[in-house]
Amino acid sequence: MNRRDFLKHSGCAAMGATTLLSTLTSLGAVNGAMGHKKFPVNGAVAEDYKALVCILLAGGVDSYNVLIPTGTNGGGDNGYNEYAATRADLSIANASLLALNNPQCTGFRSFPCNYGAYGLHPSLPGMRDLFNSGKLAFMANVGTLIEPILNESEYRTKAKKIPEGVYSHSDQIMQWQTSVPQSRTALGVGGRLADLLNPGNLNQQVSMNISLSGKNVFQTGESIAEYSISNNVSPGNIGFDMLPSGWFSSGLMTELRNSAIDSLVGQTYANLLQQTYAGTAKGAIATFDIFKEALKKVPNIATVFPTTSLGNDLAAIAKVISVRSNLGAKRQIFFVTYGGWDMHDNLAGGMNQKLPVVDSAIKAFYDSTVELGIADKVTTFTISDFGRTITSNGLGSDHAWGGNSMVIGGSVKGGKIYGAYPKMNLNSNTQNVSVRGNFIPAVSTDELYAEIALWYGVSPSDLCYVLPNIGNFYSYTPGNYPVGFMNFNGTTISNVDRPQSCLIY
Amino acid sequence: MSFPLFVFQGLFRIRQRIPSILLIGLCGLSMLTNAQQNVAFGKGKITNVTVSSSSNASNQTGIQTLMSSGYLPNKNAAARLLSQATLGTTYADIENVATNGIEKWVDQQLAMPNSFVITPYMQNLHQGLADSMKRTDPTKNIGNTFLADRYFDISWFQGYMTATDLLRWRVALGLSEIFVTSRISANEGYPYASSSYYDMLLENSFTNYRNIIEKVTYHPSMAVYLTFMNNHATDSYNGKQTFPDENYARELMQLFSIGLFQLNLDGTEKKDANGKSIPTYNNNDIGGLAKVFTGLSWGDSRYLGDKLKDNWSYTKKLKFYAIDSSDYYLRPNASNKRITNGHEVGAKTFLGSTIPARSVEQGELDIKDALDIIFNHPNVGPFISRRLIQRLVTSNPSPAYIQRIATVFNNNGNNVRGDMKAVIRAILLDQEARDCCNNGNTEFAGALKEPFIRYTNLVKGLNLTATGGVFRNTMQRVYDKMGQLPMYSPSVFNFFSPDYLPDGALKGTGKFGPEFQTLNSQSLSGYMNALNSWLINDDPVEYLTYFPGETFKPNQDAKFDLSADYQLTRNDRLTQLLDKYNLILAHGRISQQSLNTIRNALSGMPLTVTNGVVNDSEANRIVRIAIYLIMSSPDYIINK
Repeated sequence: MNRRDFLKHSGCAAMGATTLLSTLTSLGAVNGAMGHKKFPVNGAVAEDYKALVCILLAGGVDSYNVLIPTGTNGGGDNGYNEYAATRADLSIANASLLALNNPQCTGFRSFPCNYGAYGLHPSLPGMRDLFNSGKLAFMANVGTLIEPILNESEYRTKAKKIPEGVYSHSDQIMQWQTSVPQSRTALGVGGRLADLLNPGNLNQQVSMNISLSGKNVFQTGESIAEYSISNNVSPGNIGFDMLPSGWFSSGLMTELRNSAIDSLVGQTYANLLQQTYAGTAKGAIATFDIFKEALKKVPNIATVFPTTSLGNDLAAIAKVISVRSNLGAKRQIFFVTYGGWDMHDNLAGGMNQKLPVVDSAIKAFYDSTVELGIADKVTTFTISDFGRTITSNGLGSDHAWGGNSMVIGGSVKGGKIYGAYPKMNLNSNTQNVSVRGNFIPAVSTDELYAEIALWYGVSPSDLCYVLPNIGNFYSYTPGNYPVGFMNFNGTTISNVDRPQSCLIY
Repeated sequence: MSFPLFVFQGLFRIRQRIPSILLIGLCGLSMLTNAQQNVAFGKGKITNVTVSSSSNASNQTGIQTLMSSGYLPNKNAAARLLSQATLGTTYADIENVATNGIEKWVDQQLAMPNSFVITPYMQNLHQGLADSMKRTDPTKNIGNTFLADRYFDISWFQGYMTATDLLRWRVALGLSEIFVTSRISANEGYPYASSSYYDMLLENSFTNYRNIIEKVTYHPSMAVYLTFMNNHATDSYNGKQTFPDENYARELMQLFSIGLFQLNLDGTEKKDANGKSIPTYNNNDIGGLAKVFTGLSWGDSRYLGDKLKDNWSYTKKLKFYAIDSSDYYLRPNASNKRITNGHEVGAKTFLGSTIPARSVEQGELDIKDALDIIFNHPNVGPFISRRLIQRLVTSNPSPAYIQRIATVFNNNGNNVRGDMKAVIRAILLDQEARDCCNNGNTEFAGALKEPFIRYTNLVKGLNLTATGGVFRNTMQRVYDKMGQLPMYSPSVFNFFSPDYLPDGALKGTGKFGPEFQTLNSQSLSGYMNALNSWLINDDPVEYLTYFPGETFKPNQDAKFDLSADYQLTRNDRLTQLLDKYNLILAHGRISQQSLNTIRNALSGMPLTVTNGVVNDSEANRIVRIAIYLIMSSPDYIINK
């Protein structure tokens, strides 16, 4: 009898909710222990757990100064020279770039990958190492699309549908999270993933979507909302503070106070703003004990994280993942924002300051998943509002469209650049839609997310719930994946057809 | 002072019994002969008596409306106005409004001059700091003494606790959340960037919108924040082109004036033949407008491109440079010095208008023309009106409410467009703001109180006192626990979006809840624990030691004195205690059910009464828990 059958047979009616919960939690604990390296898993069924970590680089990172062509062969791969000529005062010296070994950039759809040799911004040695060891892939020129747009003419004449508010922060940062560029009210990709997969979790009380950055669109689904935590995930930091110990019967008084709060937020309010507040409060209060108890089980993690905001956030995620079984979680989606990328000015200084933070935090996080024995169960990816103009406004760049993203994890077919790196020379460049150097994305966010979703356990028939526009880009046939950057060896493509129907916006 | 139970729930009460025939004589004329809309106020409607709403026309003649005489608001109604028009309310403020009337109070407030200027107060602290440091380091003076950003917070708080122009302080905070700049930027570490910008908002809150966008455009804090400081004309040098920075052009239109989509006067979006919203501009408009904001540098700069800045640079209006002569300063000995245009020449087209080509020396007129074009765009009225209504009154104003305010924005009655006084007055006196019950539609009424405003409510409501009148409070905990302080937004999009659609009970209703963007499981316990610190742990301010070794100054470490309430903790007087803070903090909105819950909790706390006198420390705890629970109640948190 597998666990699922056990649950079915035991039946909720026969057990009080609390009993059920604690039983599930302890079952989860057994399950989690199996995945831990201290316990040999020979012959045992591999742990069914997968996590996604979405890192939003808010503000629009200038990703054409993250992934940079390095070729200087006038007759052949002349990428660096074209880059330097167009980026003018923004260009980075070729000698300082960190070389990527044979990145095999092949192109995408009808877009060629224009160059063969690439390097990374000098602040990214950790990303270089992950790339060269096959744990990190780049997505070149990915961005928001409703349907493929193949050239400037299709954009200019509006022959194809254009995303709402291209170049506007608020629209683009939202569309990267919804992957529905024709709507301003769509749910988030992570939320819709959770709508589908949350029923498989053993405990629904602490949301499977956990945010280090508060409310966000990405994790908002039809039936799922984010659970916000701070990066201080010590048990003592969860919930409401006690009344001062100097008070008479401090513990009793605290209970008196807390039960009054429970009553206040437990009322039904006719005013829906009040009801929304009360509901949020009630939901949060209900999780405090579960989350606090789980956090008491966090093992010692030897990996050293940098003490930056992103480093602290990713360290907190590693800790929460380490107690996944105590939380009864088989699928989790984490969201973290690291902002400040809107570098209209002082681009060089800003990138030199912020990229090392990204580099050291992501590297440490990957290392911690190795330490926890779950590197192949955790996939991390970066998103951002948009790419930036490749021309300069004088020490800075402005809002553009397609840009470059990273995907990291043990199940990533890394060491390659997927997508299609655009030509840096803007003369008669049909991918460019402005004198400023704004590129039509070669890869859609739909294709990026579809690949991840299939790996995560969404069946091909359910993809259209997660990604309403996916039909404009991709349809599943065995062995044919949206982009190709995930390693599907050992992953069975799900054939569960969940009741949610395709979404249409 | 006594705090009777307010059994009368109506918004206005009749002070004396006026024979109804006289009442009709006073106000009935306009009701019968005038096209003005008639609205019934209050729950306790008196049959057959209708009160006409106040006219916004300043040239009105004839009888005064009942808002300023004849009827006076009860204390709940007075407190309710103050919850919209101020950042926090003392009992004395409530009595003042209840005695003078709502309309009169608003007019008095609008007529008051700016009463507190933050920058000189902060500079005084700065000078004191430099003088103190000089004692151990003779080289120190105000010019070389670093001043941390939290000195702005301390100075802001001093202003808040002492300024008498309460409405101006509420409006200025709202403006700081529309015309956003923030210390999370290159302005970090320059508190004068925050203080001078905030002073500009305070000073101009009651002027004209056109004036405000000009002051914003010429303010160095904005120029640094949205990166048009030293913005340069399109330039081609050594075969490499650079272009004007587009940042300000975009956000000025998207966030400060017209928004992304064409609007009707009532704030709803216009639709094209296919039912789609119509964008107000495209990227070409951005490029066109970006050329306008070229040639502006620091007020005390020597040339366009001068990057030198100090604290004082932030207090000076930007200077316009037609020509970029930087080479003369940077490469004085070079033989091939370049003189280029700093400001972009040529015609500039955006929003369907074209600014004519003019000589580069005349270029600054482009900025004036551009601001005029934006100012006169039909979107501005509904766009700005909706935002101001959301900041002051309600998250979901009806289209009719927006239209009434936008109409006043477009014309204040004297053919003046953008008159902020008229707009603010109209927002606060509108029937939808004053009607206690939102015409019976209470489902979506009100707004979640901004996290920061809950703190400002607390300190005013409980009469936070510093014995010498000098407050030393960085308010750091508000930011640490709830993520909000003035001039500390995470981005130009403010702490929350006007169009945020909350999860939960409001989901799918299409109703907005901007402040809900700040609400999550983490900030929720953050708020409760901050309240715990301020109230229960009696730690209401974050006192800052200005320099190492400074002696502690207890008279600047403000505290609550709740001893006057101790006698109200007796079981037979608990109702009075709750009524008092229900009035001050929640204008009587805490429901009977919630009051019972709170009362039950308080009754469970130990209280020793000896000869009718309560035990002080026990009573103190009861008062604090009472206020804590009131401020935890959704009845308080949602202001409606």
